[in-house]
Amino acid sequence: MNGARSRLELLRRIQALEFTAIDLNLFLDTHPRERRALEDYNRVVRELAAAKREYEEAYGPLVNFGHAPSPDGWRWIDEPWPWEVEN
Amino acid sequence: MWLYEKKLEYPVRVTRPNPRLAKNIITQYGGPDGELAASLRYLTQRYTMPIAQAKAVLTDIGTEELAHMEIVAALVYNLIKDAPLSEIKAAGLDGYYADHDRALYFVNAEGAPWTAAYIQSKGDPVTDLHEDMAAEEKARSTYEYLINLSDDPDATDVLRFLREREVVHFQRFGETLQLVQEYLDRRRYY
Amino acid sequence: MNEQRPAEMRLARAFVPFQTYRTTFSPEEGLRKGTIFPELYFPYRERER
Repeated sequence: MNGARSRLELLRRIQALEFTAIDLNLFLDTHPRERRALEDYNRVVRELAAAKREYEEAYGPLVNFGHAPSPDGWRWIDEPWPWEVEN
Repeated sequence: MWLYEKKLEYPVRVTRPNPRLAKNIITQYGGPDGELAASLRYLTQRYTMPIAQAKAVLTDIGTEELAHMEIVAALVYNLIKDAPLSEIKAAGLDGYYADHDRALYFVNAEGAPWTAAYIQSKGDPVTDLHEDMAAEEKARSTYEYLINLSDDPDATDVLRFLREREVVHFQRFGETLQLVQEYLDRRRYY
Repeated sequence: MNEQRPAEMRLARAFVPFQTYRTTFSPEEGLRKGTIFPELYFPYRERER
């Protein structure tokens, strides 16, 4: 995996991007016509999708039930689970 | 439908066991103002919201609260999993240990089990949104007390994140309340 | 009672002003702080030990 970003590094980036999406999502729920927020949301969705794709290719699916392919065997069951990550 | 994403919303790092702190933090797992109560409250109130925006807010915040429940679980689990029995006893967690070993269970800081009586679903959207705003404030206060009690900087960092989310959720519920009141006023006056 | 703006402040009713969209923190800073909105960031100062 030469040159690939480390798992934790990628995970941090995904956490940061998805958190921005969460906060913008909640804002847009009460401000659905705020055009700049909508543009920012759509931009972060694209960046998040790219980061997740990179992560999933290297470390397996992030989401269950058909939302990520598992071409090299069934990696969904691979450890660590989220509560085991940092320790 | 819900999906599981195999990551935490916010990273949890624990460097050493701390059963005393775990005993306090577990109230945000299964206590009256904890994340389970928050999530289930919003997810069950959403059915009787009169406008689409309110249904979205309750669905989304209810879902985020599940992620917070998972963060609290990760924190408590890692604070007790390697704690020796002597420390568990010294922390006053021996009663909990007798029933659950080091497993996670929905209790408050004194061991009382979670109950649906912690939440309400009143059918009146204005009433329910007031409860939701109060719930966010109660959770914010609890996180502040937990920060006061914490002697672990890594745990405090997570508690600060969760506390700030209560502030943001309060704002969204407040805006939702204005939208619902406007909607009800329009129906009353036109 | 101004029926054009029924959401304005009145007695016996809670009022929370609507947030307006301004700048946001970077994704990394937002995650660290717990919100991407500077105007909603109210960090806690410990009161007692």
